[in-house]
Amino acid sequence: MKFTQLAILAFFCAACNSRPSDPGDVDTALYNDLQTQLINAKPGDVINIPAGIHHFDRPLLLDGVKGVTIQGAGKDKTILSFLGQKAGAEGLKITADSVTIQDLTVTDTKGDAIRVQDAKNVTMRNVKTTWSGGAKASNGGYGLYPVGCDGVLIDQCEASFASDAGIYVGQSKNVVVKNSYAHENVAGIEIENCSNAEVKYCRSEKNTGGILVFDLPGLPAGNGKTCKIHHNKIISNNHRNFAPEGNIVATVAPGTGMIFLAAKDVEAHHNEVIGHKTMGAAIASYHIVQLKWDDKNYDPYTYDIKLHNNHFERKKALPDLSKDFGKMVNVYFSGKPQDILYDGILDDKRPGSSNPMNICIDQPQTGLRFANIDAANDFKNINPDLKPYQCK
Amino acid sequence: MKKQFRKGRILAAGFLLALSFCFTCQSPAAQKKGMEVSSPVRFDSGKAPYPKLSDYGFFTGIQRDLQPNAGVLPYELITPLFTDYAHKARFVWMPQGTQATVAADGRLDFPDQAVLIKNFYYPADFAKPEADWDVVETRLLMKIKGEWQAFTYVWDEAENDAELNIVGDIKPVSWQDEKGHKQNIEYLVPNKTQCKSCHNRDAIIQPIGPKVANLNKDLRYPDGKTENQLSRWQRAGYLAAGDHGQKFAKLAAWDKPQSGSLQDRALAYLDVNCGHCHHPQGPAHSSGLYLQADEQDLAHLGFCKPPVAAGKGSGGRQFGIVPGQPKASILLYRMENTDPGVMMPEIGRVMVHTEAVELIRDWIAELKGGCN
Repeated sequence: MKFTQLAILAFFCAACNSRPSDPGDVDTALYNDLQTQLINAKPGDVINIPAGIHHFDRPLLLDGVKGVTIQGAGKDKTILSFLGQKAGAEGLKITADSVTIQDLTVTDTKGDAIRVQDAKNVTMRNVKTTWSGGAKASNGGYGLYPVGCDGVLIDQCEASFASDAGIYVGQSKNVVVKNSYAHENVAGIEIENCSNAEVKYCRSEKNTGGILVFDLPGLPAGNGKTCKIHHNKIISNNHRNFAPEGNIVATVAPGTGMIFLAAKDVEAHHNEVIGHKTMGAAIASYHIVQLKWDDKNYDPYTYDIKLHNNHFERKKALPDLSKDFGKMVNVYFSGKPQDILYDGILDDKRPGSSNPMNICIDQPQTGLRFANIDAANDFKNINPDLKPYQCK
Repeated sequence: MKKQFRKGRILAAGFLLALSFCFTCQSPAAQKKGMEVSSPVRFDSGKAPYPKLSDYGFFTGIQRDLQPNAGVLPYELITPLFTDYAHKARFVWMPQGTQATVAADGRLDFPDQAVLIKNFYYPADFAKPEADWDVVETRLLMKIKGEWQAFTYVWDEAENDAELNIVGDIKPVSWQDEKGHKQNIEYLVPNKTQCKSCHNRDAIIQPIGPKVANLNKDLRYPDGKTENQLSRWQRAGYLAAGDHGQKFAKLAAWDKPQSGSLQDRALAYLDVNCGHCHHPQGPAHSSGLYLQADEQDLAHLGFCKPPVAAGKGSGGRQFGIVPGQPKASILLYRMENTDPGVMMPEIGRVMVHTEAVELIRDWIAELKGGCN
């Protein structure tokens, strides 16, 4: 009798594991087992998370142990769902060096899906983060979120429906994001206040903005620099912006391929920037967002930017009307999407008169729509002349 | 069935508690003497953590009554960390002949093998906190070989003893608040790693409460005497000599208007409840928002500061604190929220601390300036 009951129970459990169930079915036993393993982990341990859809109500945390691997059975096989999350905002929260997270999916966290902070040598491989209800402002901010790290590798990952950025690397050094796919986030891939970062062979598609390189004030990591963006497919990033106001990405106009904001030493090449209704690439100083800052060390300017061998192909559509940047394009460019816009805001301390910010654009395609929008003077002298910025 | 049993047990516990009070008030000398003889506490840092709370011998008699054994000194904080209205019974124990010293910033530097004992309990009726209560968990911070370690003990169903729990738990808790309203919550017992997410300075576990500024108040001790905590600690041999209270300004009591201005009380609350993470060396340093008491930079305090990685935590608002405009301030939005993806602090509460929200709201409202 008892055995039969057990067998029936086991059958039911197996059955509910094979399809998404409601957030009530929290697998506390598995959670306790995994969290205990994470707490007791020794350097070099591999913690396996079995295949199945596992519902957890609290984050899994790893702290202070070097070289731990959190290993799923496959990106579409091991799915950690936080739909019924009661505490802690993240899915995985990690403060440990040399961590590897691979072959799993994290869905529906209340806050960020996977946050790794203040760690050296972080690897995320074949990991997916998403929110199953689609694009909502109530989704968590970031999907894959290393911050304050030195040595970040994000490879073959997928991130969607984050209300800020799908793949967001903040305040980190020595970063590589490659072979990854970001879609239907507000920002697909965002590199913020990082030094020595590279984004390559990625696909960033159907987000509000494709790839963003930002440098923001008031952060302990200070000014970032040196970023290479190459061989990416940046496609049709025309999604409505669903970021909550107040966040910097809430200012991104739908239909934006790339933005370099207060970025320094950026080289973007061999990217396919296709199907954007507002602009393919924007080069702008932090002044453009019209926010004050109180950070003596902050450098708000954008300089040493080189764009070459990219392929720009605009969407035939009316530029965005929901955000200031989109409205600006509509007003000053008669409703025509642009390929490259440069705000023309200059740092008086830099030498030279024609191109003191060293903006280098080697894009010899015919019909390229470029303009210096003269944002410092209320767009009075918008100038489509590319010559001052042409280089080899 | 269970309820009847509990009632009987509580009556018995109350009787014993009354007895023990009688005992202490009749023989303060014996109590004082007890402090001087070697402590009956059992603590071998090589074997800790012990499986059960009673293994340490911090409490005498019925464990849930939390009657401190000799050498176990109760303490209170002027402004404490909010944890879902839980009452907290705090104690400190140190090996005989050892004492804490005062660091340059006013934090106490404890000797090796010191233990901070924090019991989280809910009176059944907040209007009569002494009548009956449920102890939920007891957290121990112990200093072993120069490093603090955090361990949580969760009380069993009958509250006879508490067992070591490293993985955390969610426990249903209920009580009647001061206004007579029934409250039911799912109380989060943190796991070992979560302890560190608050008790953290430069990625090393640190106590939050015991600072000179926050301990400098009177307390009524089990021996019936009322005494300033700093001098009592010194008298017990637990704190190095010196007039520490003179050196560090007393923290305002967030809920006592006579203890400081609105701003003093608001900043004291933010210091204790937020400043342990939002500190240049705390886990929230990446936000650039610093709320510890000695922060002088208004932008780092959140004044007209845009959020960094708030996501939906911004609530559509532009700045951390907009002077004069509580409804435009993200800080308040996050305090007023209980969504784990929005609320601050990130863990340690499932309820809104309504009275503190009022304090911060009033403070922001009286600030002059705006952000334009």
